[in-house]
Order: sequence, then structure tokens, then C-alpha cells
Amino acid sequence: MRKTMVVALRDYQAAVKTKAFLIGLLMMPLMFGGGALAQIVFRNNNDIRDKRVAVVDYTGQIFDGINRASNIRNQTLIYEGEGAARKQIQPRYIVEKADPGTNDSAHMALALSDRVRKKELFAFVIIEPNALESRGNPAQSPVQYHSESPTYDQIQQWIAAPVNARIQQMRLQAAALDPKVVLEATRPVLVRNLGLVKADASGAPIQAEQANLAANIFVPIGLMMLMFMVVMSSAALMNSVLEEKTQRIAEVLLSSIPPFQLMLGKLLGTVAVALTTGSVYLFGAYLALKRFGYVQYFPWDQVWWFIAFVSLAVLMFGSIFIAIGASVTDMKEAQSMMTPVMLLMISPMFVWFNVVREPNSTLALVMSLIPPMTPMLMTVRQSVPPGVPIWQPLAGIVLVLAATLICVFAAGRIFRVGMLMQGKGAKVSEMVRWAIRG
Amino acid sequence: MTIVEIENVTKTFGQHVAVDRLSLSVPRGSIYGFIGPNGSGKTTTLRMIMRIYHPDPGPGSIRVLGEANSAAANDRVGYLPEERGLYKKMAVREVLRFYAELKGRRDAVALIPPWLDKMGLADWADKRVESLSKGMAQKVQFISAVIARPELVILDEPFTGLDPVNADVLREAVLDLRKTGTTVIFSTHDMSVAEQMCDFIFMIYRGNKVLDGTLESIQDHYGSDTIRVSVEGNGFDPQTIPGVEKVTDFGRLQELRMAANTDPQAVLAELMKRGRVMHFELTRPSLHDIFVRIASPDAADMMPPAAKGATAHA
Repeated sequence: MRKTMVVALRDYQAAVKTKAFLIGLLMMPLMFGGGALAQIVFRNNNDIRDKRVAVVDYTGQIFDGINRASNIRNQTLIYEGEGAARKQIQPRYIVEKADPGTNDSAHMALALSDRVRKKELFAFVIIEPNALESRGNPAQSPVQYHSESPTYDQIQQWIAAPVNARIQQMRLQAAALDPKVVLEATRPVLVRNLGLVKADASGAPIQAEQANLAANIFVPIGLMMLMFMVVMSSAALMNSVLEEKTQRIAEVLLSSIPPFQLMLGKLLGTVAVALTTGSVYLFGAYLALKRFGYVQYFPWDQVWWFIAFVSLAVLMFGSIFIAIGASVTDMKEAQSMMTPVMLLMISPMFVWFNVVREPNSTLALVMSLIPPMTPMLMTVRQSVPPGVPIWQPLAGIVLVLAATLICVFAAGRIFRVGMLMQGKGAKVSEMVRWAIRG
Repeated sequence: MTIVEIENVTKTFGQHVAVDRLSLSVPRGSIYGFIGPNGSGKTTTLRMIMRIYHPDPGPGSIRVLGEANSAAANDRVGYLPEERGLYKKMAVREVLRFYAELKGRRDAVALIPPWLDKMGLADWADKRVESLSKGMAQKVQFISAVIARPELVILDEPFTGLDPVNADVLREAVLDLRKTGTTVIFSTHDMSVAEQMCDFIFMIYRGNKVLDGTLESIQDHYGSDTIRVSVEGNGFDPQTIPGVEKVTDFGRLQELRMAANTDPQAVLAELMKRGRVMHFELTRPSLHDIFVRIASPDAADMMPPAAKGATAHA
């Protein structure tokens, strides 16, 4: 066991005492959080050139409403900051009235399309004569927005509000209804999302707390992503074993330590690296939550489960990576064998959304008891209120432990044969034969 | 008293018989040299002694340090493989400490400086392995094999690729090991190294043992059938002298191998007829010559003594 620990310590130090480890610590969250960060950084970095929109209003009664709305928007809603710091962050929408004359809407659309092509306009809107009618097929909208930038949908979304407000107003007037009364009568009621009611010391009910949907989703997703990042680090074992094999270090090692102990040492070293990474991120998350006043959402009761699942997942996947590293002769061969394992690793990502929404569904339960998926999905299920019965994570641990033992045992046999084999890589069928026959 | 005892061991890889019914015994405290052409089975045999390879199932046995079934990882045996392997990113001191601790030494830190001094590597202790020259890396690898003070050291081609200065340093280190009672088995392609250093020489050819014994006993089996001559004269061709079977030209000297029952005096008389004889020496064949006799393509008629069951073990 002492030799196993010597190997574990060397592998741990070789992994942690490098610049690559520190850079990796920073890079991983950047990779996953990069999208969100970019959104924040570039949030106000929009193209603020004016966008000219022609409106053909066959009803003759809607354009003014649109024009008023655009004026209000252009004067007040597209700026950030006050006084000297006031800065335009959105483009102005310049609305121009296009007179259809005797042209029908199809010919008007053609003429305006040509103006868009010539860049005189950004887009145009055609409001058909029947737009004010309350009956009609909703699929055949009487208002059409045309542009050659289909992905830029801000104008289309913005213009719907003044168009609909004016149309509704006109329809209510036609029906002799007071718009203010109707607005009051149809005002929607908010349904509050609350937790369960608890009792105080005297048994009196305490007002239930508002459910924080963002926190309740962020915590399980955060934990799952963290686990994914940490478990992914076990892939480094393959490179390490491949280096020892191709640079013939293996022969020296195997003259000093039995193959199984060597492999176990490498696995334990990687578990230690994974737990170090996980601890750094968890500590960082704790500090961040504390800084922003959300420390009550730090999943303290999950930490021990997290350590247990991460350790087992690294042992399980790490032993598979070791078996691959010992069986191939170069990186190219290794990568083709890695693909199915990586798919297995990311498989929880395919179903996490269903699991978060309904953590106690049969699907979620079954998925979270399939060993390669257990660490991530059980963590997700545990961290979404109200959690899961204790037998479920325990059953998960037992099943993952069994799968891990099988993986480690099989990898040990493959490792013993593969490490000294030079020349050509092994086929999967050969690896299976080594694993079964020893 | 033997430290390694191999009896009737065979090792095959697929259809290829790498080692065929091999037997040998290595006396404790000796330097035991393995020679043989490339691919003859030297490394396979050394790996079997290390128990990295297991022999084919059968009646054969391998006993190392008196144990028949010990694991490959034996703290009492040091090993320098033919294919050197060191972690390139580790510092010399760290890598040596790691290998010493893997052999169970808890006092690894104290063992390292004397060895680095001895091998002229003291200034490189904290440098990364990747910054070392090939020769220096080889010396580090050697230290890693012996630092744990094993009773038996197995060195596969330890002198290959070393310049004469480093080769001398390594040779001294190996001889010092013997002085402290360590048994050394090493393989080499350098016949002069084997002649100078080895108490016993073992030759394997095509998986079979062909020589095994002290240098003297091996040479005795070939008898004094070699003459070294230096003759001044134009158009001198020793090959045409009756009774001369093979000529090896070393430039200033020629080595003539005589056929059985050839009288050296008759050869000398013939040489004197052809030129001025500056040097005439009746000698036993060198290890190089014996090696070539056994392993050269035209050696079919040179039945090695060991192959006839007459190994020259002292």
C-alpha cells in the first residue's frame, strides 16, 4: 500500500504542480461560463445606427400609434445612465409612413423590398385593410413584417405592442366598451410560487418563503457542471499511462511495483486531483454566494455526497481511460477509443432538463440509478427540493461502487498485459479477452 | 551459491520461439555478462528473470534470490531496461527519490547525493530530466536501478550510446557494486567490455544457449587455433596459406584462424617465405572472434561447444 501511495503522490504532484493545472482551473469555468460572460460583456455593445422602417397602413388608423411609440422609445428607452454619462445603447427606430396610393399590398411589398435591398430601409410593415376586424384566421395575420435580416427580430417584437394596443383600442371602441374598464377587468393575477408552510415553536404556521426558482435551478445545474468538469479530469490518466508506456517508463515501474498497485496509485492520485479541483470551485462558489448574499443556497448537505460520487466517478471512468492508455500505442488510436467513453460521460447532459423539472419521476429515478449517469443525475435530484429518499442515493452509491469495482478489476487485467505491449495497439475484442481471461 | 537459477525455460511469442529450453545459473557476487546478436533472446531472458515476462507453461523454473514465484516487483532486484524510461518533466532528484521509494526505501533523500557525486551529476540534481544529455540521462537511469541497494542488479545494454568517459564512469560504478557484494547481470554488444568485466559470460543465439562459463573456459574450448601476425611484403594474402581457414584483417595486424591439426610452425615458415614477419603470436580466439564464429551467416560448420552440451561453466 505504501508503494501505491508513492505513485499516487507522484501523480498528484505531477498534475497539480504545473502551470497547466492552474490555467485549467481558470479555463474550465471560462469555457462553461464563457457564453454567459460574453452576454454580459457585450450586452450593451449593440449596433446603434438608426433603423428605418416603412409602415404601409391600409386601415389609416394604426400608424400614428406606432409613430408615437417610436418617438417615446427613441427619446427615453434606448439610453443608459444619466446626465453626462448618458449613453445610447440601442438603435433608434425611425418609422416612416409609406403611402400605398392605388397599389395593392403585394405591389407595395415588392416596391418596398427593393428599397430594403438598396439599404434605404431596414424593414417594412404592411397592415392590411382587415386588420381591425376581430374575426379572422389568426394564422393569416393581417400585419406582416418584412426584412432581409430574419435573425434580427427586435423590431418585429417591438412593433407588435403599439400595433396591438391600437387595434385592441379600436376594436373595443367599435364594440362600445370602455378600454379602461376592460383593462381593469382583464388584468391578470400573479400566482406566487411558495415553499411549504412551517410551524414556529408554538406550533403556529409561519409564512412560507417565496420559492427562488433561479436558485433552485442554478444549484443543481451548477453542481452537475462542476461534477462534469471534475470527472472530465480523469481523462488525463490516459495521457499519463500512454506517456509511461511509449517512453518505456512502465518497464521500470513494473520492476518495482505490481501492476494493480501501480494502477491503483494512479487512480488515487487522480481522485486527489479531482477533489482538489472540486474543493477550489466549491470554495469559490461559497465565497461568491456569500459576497452576493445568497449563502443560504450553498448546498452544505450535498458536499459529502459530492465527494463520494466524484471519487467513485473518477475511479470508474479513470480505470476505463487507464485501460485505453495501456492498450494503444499513440494518441490517434487513443482518441478513437475515447469517443464512446466521452459520450457515456456526457450522457447525463441529454436528460438533465427532464430530471430537474421532475426529479421524482420514474424516468429520473431509473436514469439516476444507471451507474455512468448516477453521480451527476443523483446529485441533481438531491439538490432540487424536496430532494429524494435516502435509499436512492445509497442505492446509487452501491451500484456505482459495483460498476467501479468491475471497471477497476477489468482495467487492471488490461493494464498488466497492455503496458508492455509495443508495436501495435489492441483491438477492443482483444481488450475484452484480456479483461475476461486475465 | 547461485542467485539466479533458470532450468529448462521456454518463451514463445505467437509462433516465434524467443527462448528455447534455456538453463543457466548465476553465482552470487559475480558479474555475469549476456552476449548475443540482436533478437537472439537476451532481453526476453532478462525480462523473465525480472518476472516481467512469464515463461511458457511447462516443467521449467526460474528461481531468483531463492524464490520460485516472487512477483516482478522485487525490492531486492534493481533493473535498468534496454529502453530507457524517465519522467521528462521531473527533476533528477525527484525522479531518483521516486524510484528509491518505489523500492521501499524510506531514506531515499540521503541516498541520492553520494550517487550524483559519484556519477558527476551533482550540479544537475534540480534540473529536469528533459534538459539532460543522453549520456547523463543514462547515468540517472543507472542510479535509479541501483539506488535502493539491491542484491541483484540487471542491466540491459547499460553501455550503449555512452562516450568513453561516461562508459568508464559506469564501468567503475558496476565494479564497485561487485565489491559491495552485489551481483550484476548485464547484456552488451561490446565484447571487450564483456572480456574485461565479466566473471562469467553467457551467449544466447536464436533462443539457445551457446556459451556459458568463464572467459578462460570458453576460450579453452576453442583451443589455441589463432595466430596474430604482422608481415611486411607486397601482395601478401594469408588466405592462400595452407591450413588458414579465416583471416580477419585489423590493419596493422591480421588474425588467422587455423584449421584443425594445422602446425603453427608450418604457417610461420610459409609466412617467412612471403615477407618479413614483424609479429607472430599464437593465441586463443578473442570473444569477438568466438561471437562472430557462432553468429556470422557462414558459421553453419562452426558447432559451438555449448550447443554440443559441453558448456564451459567453471
